[in-house]
Amino acid sequence: MKNFKEISARLEIAKKKIEKNITKDKSSNAASLGKALKIGTELVASVVVGTLLGFILDGWFDTRPWLTISFFFMGVGAGILNVIRSAKNMNKKKDMENN
Amino acid sequence: MSTNPMHQFEVYRIGPEISLGSVNLSFTNASLFMLISAATILLLLFLGTKKKLLVPTKIQLITEMSYSFVAKMINDTAGSKAKPFFPFIFTLFMFVLFCNMIGMLPYSFTVTSHIIVTFILAAIVFIGVTIIGFIQHGIKYLELFVPKGVPVLLLPLIVVIEIISYLSRPVSLSVRLFANMMAGHTMLKVFGGFVISLGLLGGWLPLGFSVALTGLEILVAFLQAYVFAILTCIYLNDALNLNH
Repeated sequence: MKNFKEISARLEIAKKKIEKNITKDKSSNAASLGKALKIGTELVASVVVGTLLGFILDGWFDTRPWLTISFFFMGVGAGILNVIRSAKNMNKKKDMENN
Repeated sequence: MSTNPMHQFEVYRIGPEISLGSVNLSFTNASLFMLISAATILLLLFLGTKKKLLVPTKIQLITEMSYSFVAKMINDTAGSKAKPFFPFIFTLFMFVLFCNMIGMLPYSFTVTSHIIVTFILAAIVFIGVTIIGFIQHGIKYLELFVPKGVPVLLLPLIVVIEIISYLSRPVSLSVRLFANMMAGHTMLKVFGGFVISLGLLGGWLPLGFSVALTGLEILVAFLQAYVFAILTCIYLNDALNLNH
């Protein structure tokens, strides 16, 4: 039984140490780097998908190049929307962590 | 010795050629490394859960850490409703992580540096999430494309933009993983080539870069697996709790 008590005491100390470390480097963890890498592709992907969709629809309706052009701009809009949305999400999470 | 930095991404056949109709189903080096990753994960989890000790061994600790890491991630981003999807997200995370990490070993092949692999993974997530959304909310799931408080005049434009933004999810998910892995491995190979061509005199600087880049690549390998899993959780959250 003595062994268990010793282990639980050591666990408590270790947990406290971990908590200290977490509060210290919350702002500079790898997760924020992941978020930064995420945003760039989000913008590009929407533009590519929009243009591709316009190109395919142009083929169906025989209206080349008008749908490609308009869907390109809508893709840009969707990309900006995506970026704003994920930035908003990050802010929301940050506020929740602070409160 | 090949100095072409793209040579490492070549897929070649191992063993006999198998074809089903016009589809080539031969066993390639890509399939081999996927099998190796899957086997490594199974071995790790098997060894980690074999003896359940109160004071864990190193392998048990790694297994438990990966479990609680993914469980916490799902709970934080998608809520308790997403708990039934834990096995899928855990599998996805571990598979991408191990494919990336095994690709860092010399003479190995990085499965995730091929867009078809990452795109299929992303497409499975995308189709699955869409089906879950329709099962959970029925036809009301289409409300995802109609944000609240938009003037009627702008609605057709906004709906098209929302649909494009929804369709761009699998593309951004797959391109991110593929581009990061391919760019990193190409860069490593280019700097490795510099070491050889500059020789004993000038090769030390690119060698140092190579070492630093290897560290960075290991970070990226983990980070991309993490991002892939966390975005799956976010999409799942959209499908389960219909709100913007």
